[in-house]
Amino acid sequence: MNEILNVQNVTKYYGNGSVVTKALDGISFSVKKGEFTAVMGASGSGKSTLLNVIATIDRASSGNVILDGINVSNMREDELSAFRRDKLGFIFQDYNLLDTLTVEENITLPLNLRRAPLEKTKKDLLKVASELGIAAQLKKFPYELSGGQRQRAACARALITSPALILADEPTGALDSNSTKSLMKTFSMMNEALGSTILTVTHDANVGSYASRILFLKDGKLFSEIIRGNKTQREMYAEILSVTTALGGDADAC
Amino acid sequence: MLAKLAARNVKRQIKNYVIYFITVSLTVALMFAMNNAIFDKTMLAKSVDIKELKTGLTVLTVLISVIVAFVLGYATSFMLKLRKHEFGTYLTLGMTRSNILCIFLTESLILCALSLITGLLLGLAFYQGIMAIVTNIMETEFVFAPYSAKGLLLTVASVVAVFVLSNLTSAVYLRRVSIFSLIRGARKTEKKVRCPAAWFALSAVSLAAVIYCCIAFNVELKKIIRTDASPLVPVLILFGFAAAMLLFHIGVSKSLFHVLLRSEKFKNSGANTFVLRQLSGKMSGNAVMAGMLALLISLAIIGANFSFAMKAFNNESLMRDYPFDISAEISTDNTSVTPDDADEIISGYAEIESKTAYSVYDSGERYLHGFTKWASDGYWDLTDSYITESDFNKICAKSGKDATDLKGGFMIAFNPAYENEIKSCDFSSAALNFGGAELRFNGFCQAPLISYNFFVAIVPDDAVIGMEKKTDGLIYDLKNDSFDAQGLYDALSYERASGNWTLRLCDFKIREYERVQLNANSAVFVISALYASFVFVFLAMAILALKTLSDAADNRRRYEILNKIGASEKTQCRALFAQIFAFFFLPFCLPLLTSIPAGAAFTTIMTLTGFAAANLKTAATTLTIALIITAVYALYFTATYLLAKRYVIARKTT
Repeated sequence: MNEILNVQNVTKYYGNGSVVTKALDGISFSVKKGEFTAVMGASGSGKSTLLNVIATIDRASSGNVILDGINVSNMREDELSAFRRDKLGFIFQDYNLLDTLTVEENITLPLNLRRAPLEKTKKDLLKVASELGIAAQLKKFPYELSGGQRQRAACARALITSPALILADEPTGALDSNSTKSLMKTFSMMNEALGSTILTVTHDANVGSYASRILFLKDGKLFSEIIRGNKTQREMYAEILSVTTALGGDADAC
Repeated sequence: MLAKLAARNVKRQIKNYVIYFITVSLTVALMFAMNNAIFDKTMLAKSVDIKELKTGLTVLTVLISVIVAFVLGYATSFMLKLRKHEFGTYLTLGMTRSNILCIFLTESLILCALSLITGLLLGLAFYQGIMAIVTNIMETEFVFAPYSAKGLLLTVASVVAVFVLSNLTSAVYLRRVSIFSLIRGARKTEKKVRCPAAWFALSAVSLAAVIYCCIAFNVELKKIIRTDASPLVPVLILFGFAAAMLLFHIGVSKSLFHVLLRSEKFKNSGANTFVLRQLSGKMSGNAVMAGMLALLISLAIIGANFSFAMKAFNNESLMRDYPFDISAEISTDNTSVTPDDADEIISGYAEIESKTAYSVYDSGERYLHGFTKWASDGYWDLTDSYITESDFNKICAKSGKDATDLKGGFMIAFNPAYENEIKSCDFSSAALNFGGAELRFNGFCQAPLISYNFFVAIVPDDAVIGMEKKTDGLIYDLKNDSFDAQGLYDALSYERASGNWTLRLCDFKIREYERVQLNANSAVFVISALYASFVFVFLAMAILALKTLSDAADNRRRYEILNKIGASEKTQCRALFAQIFAFFFLPFCLPLLTSIPAGAAFTTIMTLTGFAAANLKTAATTLTIALIITAVYALYFTATYLLAKRYVIARKTT
């Protein structure tokens, strides 16, 4: 498999003067095409910072992030915007759907920003909406949808540009258990059936158990890693719990 | 402790308060300058009419204070909206509602005090500026104008009243609102507009009505000037115009962006969908506000145009109505100032260069009036007046005009103010008989205003033999223009009893006296209209700016999402610019265009009253007003855009 993401010795400091916090401490790993990777760790372990650095909405203090063969660490601001638009898809805990736009408009917005032809936009919209089961909700506004439907709309928006990497930040954080289960099945479908490469940050062991690989962070460093191999989801879940126990029991796994 | 917290809050919120602060300061400065002008003794001394207008101007100031209070109350509620979450948090921490109210009112008080001080300081300069305009209009030399304690007191009282009124609604809201509403805020959702097509149709009909009202007003204006038609119709048309303007903006706010959203090609390009959705939600929720602002701006533009048109009219009519330094038509009966007395009195004030005397005769009949629109019994007291050819030619010579040749007939010299009415009369069959000789009508003749009548018939000198002399006319040329015109006017005036009243009359028309009077009146009207216009424009701008900035928190969240999904900073800036530009200029474009019908109406007035030569000047004034108001608008827009951009657009990664 090709390497989509390569994180090389990334360090991130916050603050200045005498008050400096080291959020990421020399992290290195890579993600291959078609991989479904979860990053787990306790609050303050640096997982969201890592995601923001990979998402190019935050810059690393040192180290390199190579995405789809391009080193984004030194890219200019306008190049980064175009890069995010063309190469990345985002799914956030609070959906980040624009409340003033209909579901259809939210999903097609990344294509509009690319100034994609109208016919292609329409075709891609119908395809992605039908794959995610939200074709009937397209004309509605986000406030008219349930949490699960909103998150699927956010998935559709992330998928419509066929990005090299989909980044998800606590995607189930605002969902109930049924919606969480449904969304994770959607993630699995996106990964297995559509071949999407997904990197998600979560503190939920159940969510992590759907991933093919899990990275554990502690105090800004990579602490451990689990590879699914031939393990079942239940086995993965048990292994995640044992690693979080080893982390010191202070992880937020539930 | 609460006061300290309030002071810190003001400091922390300074970027949110900056537009509010600038607007209140500018309004206070204008109020202070205007209130000083009202009590200015030198200006009051120039005109008797201004003394009577003083009460009117004070009422205008109070009225504008009420409007300012209303608008600032609206603005205060925006400021409160920005702070809802913060106040909710204070309440959850155990503060009482009285504490919250105390913090909010203290903040408002600090802001009000700062605005008052800044406004008063600015007002010191504004007042001198206003007086510079006044002295320019009055054609007198500018001298430093002293400040008035009464003006200061009136300003402070107005500002305190404005502060109390504008904070009342917010105080009531803070007393009643639930903690949950404060912390969570109103659920922000896009409300679907019902029947946007119907709203669009309404806006189309209203636009047609606005255009119709402008045309109809012009037509009615012509009727009034030509035929003395009732002014009721134009007043009704103006009300219709106001209603149509309001409805157009409500309709267009509720429909325009929805209609544009139906164009798939347009909306699927760049961030257009986002901008249109932002605007459709915002404009439909603020449709009435947009209508009201459009009305305010229209009033500002029409008012400013009206004041300058009036000044231009006064300037032009002065030379027409007062062609000589001093002229008089002294009634041959019951006057207290005889022509001989007049010479002595005038010489006491100014040196006489030359004097011309003439006479106007009265036949006691209404034969010539029978050919005019004043033929009916309602004008029974108007009898035909005559002047001899030689007397008339003496007047022509004084005013530099060629002598008139009657060619064996008679001519009609019309009062220039009624040129159109007289010239439309058909005198072709008119014939006068004097001593067996018949005089046929031989045309019209324009002459300087020599009579209070609508027209005078010019006849051969021997035709007036046997006629009763109606008035003695006098024309004086003075060696110098600068003299105590008010003193001369008073000296030439006399009193006459009329029933229970005693009338003060003056048969003399003193050009210098009238010039000072007209200029003073023009100055008051221009300043009042500019004052009201600028306050209206400032308030309209402030509301739009505050409305934009109060939504900044929501917009920031939305633009952050845009940033995350790949919209470049340039795209975001363009979207924000388009959003704010449309929000600002939608209620502005049509009112600005009212400059055209307003300018046309004043051109009509000038043309029909015989001052077509001043039309270019009137058009230039209209254009200047439009440009100045647009410049003020553009300044507010730019300030708002830059502030919003700084707060809303997602910052670069660090």
